[in-house]
Amino acid sequence: MTTCVTGINREKAIQDLSKISVRGNEEGLIPAFGVLVQNLPANFWNLFSMKILQAAGKDLYEDAGGLLENAAAECGYHTGWGIVNSEEFKAVIGPMIQNAPEDVLHGAYAVFTAWGWANAEIVELVPGEKMVVRAYDYYESDVKDEFKPTKPFAYMIKGVCRAFMDIAYSDPYPNGFGKFKCEQTHGIELGDEYGEFVVTKA
Amino acid sequence: MSIELQTKQVFDSERMRHYLNGELSVLHCHHYSTLFTQLADDAQLLKGAKLLHEASAESFYPVLTKYYRENNVTSTEEKVAIAEQYYGFVGLGQVQLTLSDNGATAEMQHSHVDEGWIKKWGNREEPVNYIGQGFLAAAVAAINGNSTGSYSVKETQSIVAGAQTSQFTITKK
Repeated sequence: MTTCVTGINREKAIQDLSKISVRGNEEGLIPAFGVLVQNLPANFWNLFSMKILQAAGKDLYEDAGGLLENAAAECGYHTGWGIVNSEEFKAVIGPMIQNAPEDVLHGAYAVFTAWGWANAEIVELVPGEKMVVRAYDYYESDVKDEFKPTKPFAYMIKGVCRAFMDIAYSDPYPNGFGKFKCEQTHGIELGDEYGEFVVTKA
Repeated sequence: MSIELQTKQVFDSERMRHYLNGELSVLHCHHYSTLFTQLADDAQLLKGAKLLHEASAESFYPVLTKYYRENNVTSTEEKVAIAEQYYGFVGLGQVQLTLSDNGATAEMQHSHVDEGWIKKWGNREEPVNYIGQGFLAAAVAAINGNSTGSYSVKETQSIVAGAQTSQFTITKK
C-alpha cells in the first residue's frame, strides 16, 4: 500500500519543535537525545564537503561522497532513535500518532525540518519497502552559489533518509543499521525545483 | 566576567532555517562530527585533516569578526572572552585562550570532538580535534586583526589520548 496520509499535524509539530532552544552547558557541551549536539554554521559542513570532493577528483569522488553519506546515516540512525524516544518528541508528536511506525516517520521529518536540516516531507511511503522524500529547501543546496556540482550534493539528507527507514522498519535498534539505501534523483543544487530522495531496501 | 556573549536565535518559518546572530546554523550530533573527522583523518592522501581544519577556520573567522564589528568589541580581553563563550555556546567545549607575543596557547577542559570520539570509538593516541584547531586559528586571527590562515595550530596534549585537558599552541606563520 502506498500512503502519505498521516495523523501528524506537520505545521504545528514544526512550530512547536523549532522553539526548542539549544546552548552549551557550563562545560560547553550540549548533551541531548543520547548524543552530544553542536550548533555550527551550516557553511562549515558544506565547506568541508566541497573541499574533500574537490580534492578527491574523479577517481575518488564516489568514495568520498559515500563516506559523507555514511556520516549522515550513522548520525541519523543514532540521533534519530534518540529523538523519537525523547520526552520532547513524545510530548509534541506523541499525541498525534495514530498509526505507528508510519506516523512516527512523518513526525521524524517534522523534527528534520524543525532542526534546520531541510524543509522535507514524505510524499510516498510503502511501509517497509520504499519511501520518497522531497526537500523544498536545504542548506546543502547553498553550495551552488560557489561550487557547481555535476552530481547530487545532498549527502546529509540522503544518509538520514535511509537511516530513518532503518529505524522504522529494520531490526530493532541498534541492530538494524544499513538495511536501506537511498538515491537522490533531483537536487536544487543541480537546478531542480526541489531535492528528491528515494529509499528502497539495500 | 566583564563581557557576555549576546545571542539571538531565530527560526525562519518560511525557509525552515535557523540563524544564530544572523548566521545560518544547523544542529548535528557527535556521530556526524566524529565521522567527518574520521573521514578527514583517513584521507591522508587528500590532506583531509588540513581541509577540515581550513573549513573550520574559514567558517568561524567571519562569524567572530562580524560579531566584534557589530557589537563594537574592541579590546583584546573582550575579544578573547567572546571567542571562548561562543565556543561553549555552540557546544564545541570549554576553552581558555591566552595570547602571547607570537600567537597564543589554549587549554580545553571539555571538547565535543574528543569526548564524542571517545563515546563512539574510545581513546586514541593522536589528536582528532581538527575542528577545534581551526576554530583557534580563526579566533586568534580575528582577535589580532589578521587574515584567516595566518596562524598554525599544534595540539600538544589531547583529551582523546587520555589527558585531563587538551592543549594547543597557536603560532603566527
